Amino acid sequence: MVGIDRRLLQNVDWPLLVAIGGLIILSTTTLMSLHVGRAGGTVAIRQLAWFGVGLVGLLVVASLDYRKLVRAAPLFYCLGLAGLVWVSLMGRTVSGARRWIALGPLTVQPSEAFKLCFILATVWLLISRWVQPIGRGAVVLTVAIAVVPALLIVKQPDLGTALLLFPVLVALLVGAGMRLRLLGGLALAGMSALPLAWLAMKDYQRERIFVFLDPFRDPQGSAYNVIQAKIAIGSGQLLGKGVAGATQSRLAFLPERHTDFIFAVFAETWGFVGCLILLTCYVLLLLRGFDIAASAREPVGRLLALGATTLLATQILVNVGMVTGLLPVVGIPLPLMSYGGSSMVVSLMTVGLLLSVRMRQFQ
Amino acid sequence: MAGAPYPGWRGGFPGRRDAGHRRVIAIAAVVTAAFLVIVGQLWYLQVLEGGHFRDASEKNRIRIRPIAAPRGILFDRNGVPLVDNRPAFTLSLIPRELDRDVARRDAVLGRVAAILLIPYQELVDAVARVPADSFLPVRVRRGLTLEDVAKVEEWKLELPGVIVEVEPQRAYPTSRFAAHLLGYVREANEEQLRHGRYRRGDMVGQSGLERLLDEFLRGRDGGERIEVDAMGRPMRLIQQTEPHPGGQVITTVDRRIQEAAERAMEGHAGAVVVMDPRNGDVLALVSTPAFEIDRFTGMIDRAAWLRVVQDPNYPLLNRAIQSQYAPGSVFKVIVAAAGLQEGTLTPLDRTYCSGEFHLGAWTFKDWKEGGHGGVDLHRAIAQSCNIFFYQAGLKVGGSTIARYATAFGFGEATGIDLHGEKFGLIPQPKLMRGRRAWHAGETVNMSIGQGAVLVTPMQVARFMAAIANGGVLWKPRLVQRIERPDRGVVWSDSGHVNGHVELSPIVWAFLRQSLWAVVNDGGTGAAARIPGLDIAGKTGTAQMIAKSKAERGQDHAWFTAFAPLRDPQVVIVVLAERGGKGGQVAAPIARKILNAIFFEKVAAAGVSG
Repeated sequence: MVGIDRRLLQNVDWPLLVAIGGLIILSTTTLMSLHVGRAGGTVAIRQLAWFGVGLVGLLVVASLDYRKLVRAAPLFYCLGLAGLVWVSLMGRTVSGARRWIALGPLTVQPSEAFKLCFILATVWLLISRWVQPIGRGAVVLTVAIAVVPALLIVKQPDLGTALLLFPVLVALLVGAGMRLRLLGGLALAGMSALPLAWLAMKDYQRERIFVFLDPFRDPQGSAYNVIQAKIAIGSGQLLGKGVAGATQSRLAFLPERHTDFIFAVFAETWGFVGCLILLTCYVLLLLRGFDIAASAREPVGRLLALGATTLLATQILVNVGMVTGLLPVVGIPLPLMSYGGSSMVVSLMTVGLLLSVRMRQFQ
Repeated sequence: MAGAPYPGWRGGFPGRRDAGHRRVIAIAAVVTAAFLVIVGQLWYLQVLEGGHFRDASEKNRIRIRPIAAPRGILFDRNGVPLVDNRPAFTLSLIPRELDRDVARRDAVLGRVAAILLIPYQELVDAVARVPADSFLPVRVRRGLTLEDVAKVEEWKLELPGVIVEVEPQRAYPTSRFAAHLLGYVREANEEQLRHGRYRRGDMVGQSGLERLLDEFLRGRDGGERIEVDAMGRPMRLIQQTEPHPGGQVITTVDRRIQEAAERAMEGHAGAVVVMDPRNGDVLALVSTPAFEIDRFTGMIDRAAWLRVVQDPNYPLLNRAIQSQYAPGSVFKVIVAAAGLQEGTLTPLDRTYCSGEFHLGAWTFKDWKEGGHGGVDLHRAIAQSCNIFFYQAGLKVGGSTIARYATAFGFGEATGIDLHGEKFGLIPQPKLMRGRRAWHAGETVNMSIGQGAVLVTPMQVARFMAAIANGGVLWKPRLVQRIERPDRGVVWSDSGHVNGHVELSPIVWAFLRQSLWAVVNDGGTGAAARIPGLDIAGKTGTAQMIAKSKAERGQDHAWFTAFAPLRDPQVVIVVLAERGGKGGQVAAPIARKILNAIFFEKVAAAGVSG
């Protein structure tokens, strides 16, 4: 199973890797400027360490034949689900959210890893002969395998991650050839589920929606993050304030500045021009992902690449959208930028999936 | 792809441009469009609105902490301070460091209220006025005692966000020293804040010289621009501006005389003015009862404020310039001056005083039962004979008396720089027509300073100074000059003359001689006599119409004098409200003060070193 011959290496997607390298450099320098924790720079160093771990994950995933991974998808799905159940039963609680499980000295977030399991399982399902052609039955089945874990994740509570599953699901259904009329039906179903979701939301989540609609309803309280993020981004202006001048970030006006709101730090420091460079890296990464999907020679590879790319795209867009005030605040990290081990490793493994498909494109 | 053959696990796509390919491209296009929306939003935030957000981020990180400029000091004419600054303890709250939890915060405020006996609501209001994340101290109470400070220190651990600051505060020689002259200093009130010249917490002169000279005294506050972090902790000093201390005011007041006058007035309500007749300098200005000026500085509580405002004795009133009284017999000097100058009276005019005077159906009485017997003008002034002046007044005429009174500055402001001076009133017989037409009885009343005539002690002082100096009406001067440490003299006043009274030298001499007799030759002012000092003065008793026995002896007592006779250096006016007769009550007070002025000089200087 693990065999890398020279033909595989010839098909490595170098632009993709260049984009990732660029993002890692931007992430590390941004974290270095932040002095989070007891000594400045520790976060950046740990981020680099996690990058190393993630790189190993990427290489492992890329060297595996994705078709074999998809065949093993039911197993992965069950493992992932077990992880989620474990969290909900005996997970570690940090600041009110039970998202982590302790593995020796490390704490990992099963919901992060589950995103990959979910993609594999959905692709496995959509490729199975007995759901062809993709119709109502397939939609119901795939929604079912999304909803159960989504509910477990919502309970943590981690609404953002749970909601991520659905754009990925829709992209996979569309890519698998679902009739577009059904897409309308799916949208309707989603809309009708909104009131239910509203009822299931916690108070702070509803407050975030209100704040999104009216940022100045509580400037010192729930709207503080959004307003400070906007001030940070806007004050960066065209060219940014530089590391020393980025007062919003340096003086800690910006909350969650090394994790979910790292984009605002970057935007304050490097301005509009810097943001364009960062976003270009992301767009390059995503377009290479879509290209891998589009140029795949068979459905498993295409759907896998499409799912992986959509997952990354959704996370990036939702995070940047939330930080720039285009979307309500949901706790989703910015892939490859935000500090966080699980997110970094899983993002790189997602890229590994893409590489795996690319390298076996011509086999 | 619907309807296309199922490619399965191993199958490939028939061609490169299949339906699935198009769908992937479509999804990629949607994602790319979303990125363009984000770029648009960034363009809006960073380029279009960037300046606005840059300002907001500056406002976030920059705090300006004012450094109060020390208020200028008021000195007396000899360079002795009338008021000084001393460090005082101020209780302040730092909103940022108070507990975020409202219940616990209120518990802290409640504890402070209980320890220092401050109304709880006052504390809550003070905190509510400023943003909750401010790290700038909010002053809650100035002028804590050492005991209070000790209590706060003792409870320190249970009082997060409560601090004691040290600030300069006004200090006075005694609790009520020169209260009306100096005036009190308090935090800018709501109206002054609305006016826009002051910031909350600024100390502003609210009355007296402190109010008049506030502009000069307050100096210019300095400030620090500090960079703070999100917790409001100061991170570094960006810029510092040193405060410019207020100007030093050299007044005309003599602290020694002021203190002597205040001592002499103890137990009496009324006013004392001491003036230099040579230049109009106000050497002392006393109004009693005085308010406790040291308690008015800083933060007076509502109850104490109401107690002063509602006091039936009106301690806030500056009786030297804001109260009007009938001048009583003091006014006879004007009748005499008018008559002598106009030729309607001569020193040889004699009258027999039987104690009663009849005019038509009316009977006017002398203050002395049985009368003074035969009197001429000189004796009539010295013994303050009413009967003589009833007749003299009729001879001189109401209009002429009014004209001379006006010439001596009555009925108009003296122009002293203090706020709220009253004008007094001199009735003008010529202007009275119809039902209010002037009749002879009113002239009779006016001749002895009763009836409608009203004067202020300051006007009497200026009048007496004119008698002493030969007719020059000085504008009372309170401030000689104002100096700034960095710029030297920034303001000075060399004295202003409001007017002249032209009388022949012989008349001046006669008046002075008669006034000397008041004190030294069997006159009504004998109680003011100091052997060896030639004092010239005049008593006055402003009669209150006694409606009951209880109101007897409720007359206002006047005594005004200048000394020494040949080279007048000081003029003094004493008014004792409801004191009784001028000669019995006011004259002894004046004597004490004059004695202090002329004879206690050396002793006082010895004590003060």
